[in-house]
Amino acid sequence: MDKYLDYLDVANSNFIYGLAIFVIIFIIFQSLIFMRKAYKQGLKIGMDKKILFKTIKSSMVFSIVPSIPIVIALMAMAPVLGIPFPWIRLSIIGSSVYELLSANIGAQSMGISGLGGDGYTAVVFANSLWVMSVGIIWGLVASIIGLKKYQNRIQKSRGKDSKWTEIFVLSLYFGMISVFIGQPIVEGGIALYTMIFSATVMGLITFIINKFKLKRLGDFALSISMVLGMVFAAIIG
Amino acid sequence: MKQYQNYEDAMHRLGRITGILALTLIFIVPTLICVKFNIWPPAKSLLKGIYMVCAIEIPICLGEFFTYAPILGTGGTYLAFVTGNLANMKVPCALMAIDASGFKQGSKEADIIATISVASSAIITVLMVAIGAMLLVPLAPILSNEALAPAFANILPSLFGGLGAYWISKNWKIAISPLIFVVLIFYFVPIPPEKLSGILIIISAFFAVGVSRLLYKKGLLNK
Repeated sequence: MDKYLDYLDVANSNFIYGLAIFVIIFIIFQSLIFMRKAYKQGLKIGMDKKILFKTIKSSMVFSIVPSIPIVIALMAMAPVLGIPFPWIRLSIIGSSVYELLSANIGAQSMGISGLGGDGYTAVVFANSLWVMSVGIIWGLVASIIGLKKYQNRIQKSRGKDSKWTEIFVLSLYFGMISVFIGQPIVEGGIALYTMIFSATVMGLITFIINKFKLKRLGDFALSISMVLGMVFAAIIG
Repeated sequence: MKQYQNYEDAMHRLGRITGILALTLIFIVPTLICVKFNIWPPAKSLLKGIYMVCAIEIPICLGEFFTYAPILGTGGTYLAFVTGNLANMKVPCALMAIDASGFKQGSKEADIIATISVASSAIITVLMVAIGAMLLVPLAPILSNEALAPAFANILPSLFGGLGAYWISKNWKIAISPLIFVVLIFYFVPIPPEKLSGILIIISAFFAVGVSRLLYKKGLLNK
């Protein structure tokens, strides 16, 4: 082993690119299997083909803009961790906030002050890889071990009350989005103005859809409000 | 009904098999890199790092699991926990899709819609990140352009502004209590929001369920 090997040569090696391509093929393949299974079951229980296709289309449209921060996270990590490993990490579980944090912990636990700094060798890089990989698996582990049990328990506790089931799911969801809405409210500034602007655009689009019966616009409403929110942020920022 | 039970069981089996494969893949990557380049971190630092990251991540991940699984349904949960980016993408995406389809949250149809939605979303994200990785050099000047920096820094407020307007106007009675709760917590707890938010999502979600239960029992949530 060459101890003085620049770790970025390792980090950007074709070998890791190969692994990355393998990983994304796996993810796409897995997604297609799930989609096919759910689609077939949907037809079996009498769901309209049109609705199922519309779900695919609108979900794809929805996901384009929120994917941009992930690409930006990749760009932020590339100078210190190379391109292919962050690419793998962000494709399988992974999130932009988590990855840099855990890569740093990987460096610190070897006594190195931070990513890419003095002493950040290939071995420290390897430590970062392991720490990043082990840290994020727990939601998946919980699903594999406990999802079936958890679902049975929920089903029992909410019984056959479909109205409560709906409220229960929506309450969890509102608990989650409240955190993302509450943060700009407390912090104020550009984030708050952007959020208010984007909410206003959404309100207007919804009004237009209802007024002129433009149902097809609905698929794009959220993307439009997001992009206009971002444009607004760039202008006032 | 029986048929659906079979589908659920089949989905659990598929979810577990592919989940275990994904876990294997996650570990194979660093293993192969270490073998190929013969770079092995010392066990002591490795364990220390893993301990540090797990102390932060295990409570958050478990909380996410308990919060998101009822929203995402069977197939959606397995797939979302393999592909990641739940709060900022998969969860709102699935709920929007269910809402647009007109089926009730928590119904068996909603479960199917959620699975299809998460799968579609995952494919787009993986492709976008792949394009980003391939085109990083030409894209870098755009993504790090100073004039555009505020736009990229405010993607989440842009997303949740639109989502908030849509959902709160439809269900303000459920929405209002967690929102006030979160704002008060952010305001009075002296921990920076970005450190607090991971754990707060879970607390706020179960707080919202508790309040809704009370309102529902008093008959205040019957439309």
